[in-house]
Amino acid sequence: MSEHAINDELSPELEAFQHKIEGLVGTILLVGVLGSCALLLSGMVWRFAESRSFVFDYELNKMNLFQFLVKELKLTIEGRFRARLLISLGIVTLLLTPYIRVLASMVYFAFVEKNLKYTLFTAFVLTVLSYTLFLR
Amino acid sequence: MTTLGMPELLGLSIAAGFVGAMSGMGGGVVLVPALTLMGLDIKHAIAISIVSVIATSSGSASAYVRDRITNLKVGMFLEVFTILGAVVGAAVTLACSERPLFIAFGVILLAIWLTMVFQVGKQWHPMAYQDRFSKWLELRGSYHDEAQKETIRYHGVRAYLGGPFMFCAGFIAGLLGIGAGALKVLVLDLGMHLPPKVSTTTSNLIIGVTALAGTSVYLANGFIDPGLAAPVILGVVLGAFIGTRVLVKLSNSAVRNFFLVVLLILGAEMIIRGIRG
Repeated sequence: MSEHAINDELSPELEAFQHKIEGLVGTILLVGVLGSCALLLSGMVWRFAESRSFVFDYELNKMNLFQFLVKELKLTIEGRFRARLLISLGIVTLLLTPYIRVLASMVYFAFVEKNLKYTLFTAFVLTVLSYTLFLR
Repeated sequence: MTTLGMPELLGLSIAAGFVGAMSGMGGGVVLVPALTLMGLDIKHAIAISIVSVIATSSGSASAYVRDRITNLKVGMFLEVFTILGAVVGAAVTLACSERPLFIAFGVILLAIWLTMVFQVGKQWHPMAYQDRFSKWLELRGSYHDEAQKETIRYHGVRAYLGGPFMFCAGFIAGLLGIGAGALKVLVLDLGMHLPPKVSTTTSNLIIGVTALAGTSVYLANGFIDPGLAAPVILGVVLGAFIGTRVLVKLSNSAVRNFFLVVLLILGAEMIIRGIRG
C-alpha cells in the first residue's frame, strides 16, 4: 500500500534520532515525576519531624505559577529554609514536567525533523500553556 | 478550609490510585467522589484531582514512550484540541454552581461504565484507505508487538473527527478533574482507527498535557492548596504503582466486574447528591 511505503522513507539517521528523542521524552517524564514525589515526600517528612503535624497552611491567592514560585522563594529568603519550600518546589516540578516534554517535542520537530507543520502545532500548545501558566 | 486528616487523605489517595490503575479508568474517577464524601467541596476536589492526574499520566507515559508504541504526531495534533477544551472546561467549573457538577460527574461515570461494559475485544485490522487530511497530517507509524512478534504498521484516519471529539474529551477532563482516558481511547480507537495499544499509550501522553492546561486555570484562581495536593499526589502515585504491579498478576474478570459495580454505585451516588443538593 502506498501509505505504508511513505513510512519507510525515514532515513536511518533520522530514525535513530527519533528513537533518541523518544528516550529523552521518557526520561524527562520519569525524572520529573520521581523528582516531584521526592520533594513532596521530603517536605512532608521534614514538616512532621519539626512539628508532629503534616498540616501546611497556604493562603490561596489568585496567582500564576511564576508568581507562586517567586513568592515562595521570597518567603524562604526572608525566613529560613523551610519544609514548605520543598512542597512548593515539588508542585512546580510536577507542573513543569509535561511543559518541558512539549518544549522538547518542539525542538525535535523544528531542528531535527524540520517539520514546519508539527513545529507550528507544538508551538501553539506551548503558547497556550505558557500563557495560562506564566502570564495570566 | 476542611477538616480532612492527613492519614485519611493519604490512605484514600493510595486507594484511588490503586483502583484507578487496576481498572484502567484513572485515579480521578474515584478520587473526586471520595474527597467530596470526606467533606471537601467539589471544586477543590476537582482541582486537586487534576494535579494528581499529571503525575500518574506522566509516570506511565514515560514507560510507554520508551517502548516506542506512543505516536508523538497523533499526540501533538490532538493536544492542540484537548488543551483548549481543558481550559474552557475548567473555566466553566469555576463559574458553575456545585449541583450541576455533581450531576455531570455522575453522568460521565455512567458513560465510562457503558464504554467498559461494551468493550469488545475485537480484532484490529489496518484500514486500506486514508483520507487526505489524515495523510497531510502524516498520521502513520509502526511498532513492534511483543506478543505477536511482528512489526505492526498502521495509519490514522478521520482526523477531522478526532480534533472536535478531542476538544470534548479535554473539556470533560478540565471540567471534572479526571484524565478522561476512556473517552480519549474511544476517539483514537473507533474514530481514528488506531491499533488498541497505540490508542492507550497515546491517550496517556495526551492526558498529561491536558491535565496541565486544566491545572493552570485552577492554580491561577487559587483553587490548588499545595498542602492538600502534596499527600494526594504522593498517595495516588504510590497507589498507581502498586496497582500496575498487581495488574500483571491479577487480570481476571471478577476484578473487572467488581470495579464495574464500584463505578456504577459512584455514578448513581453523585447524580443523587446533585439532585438532592
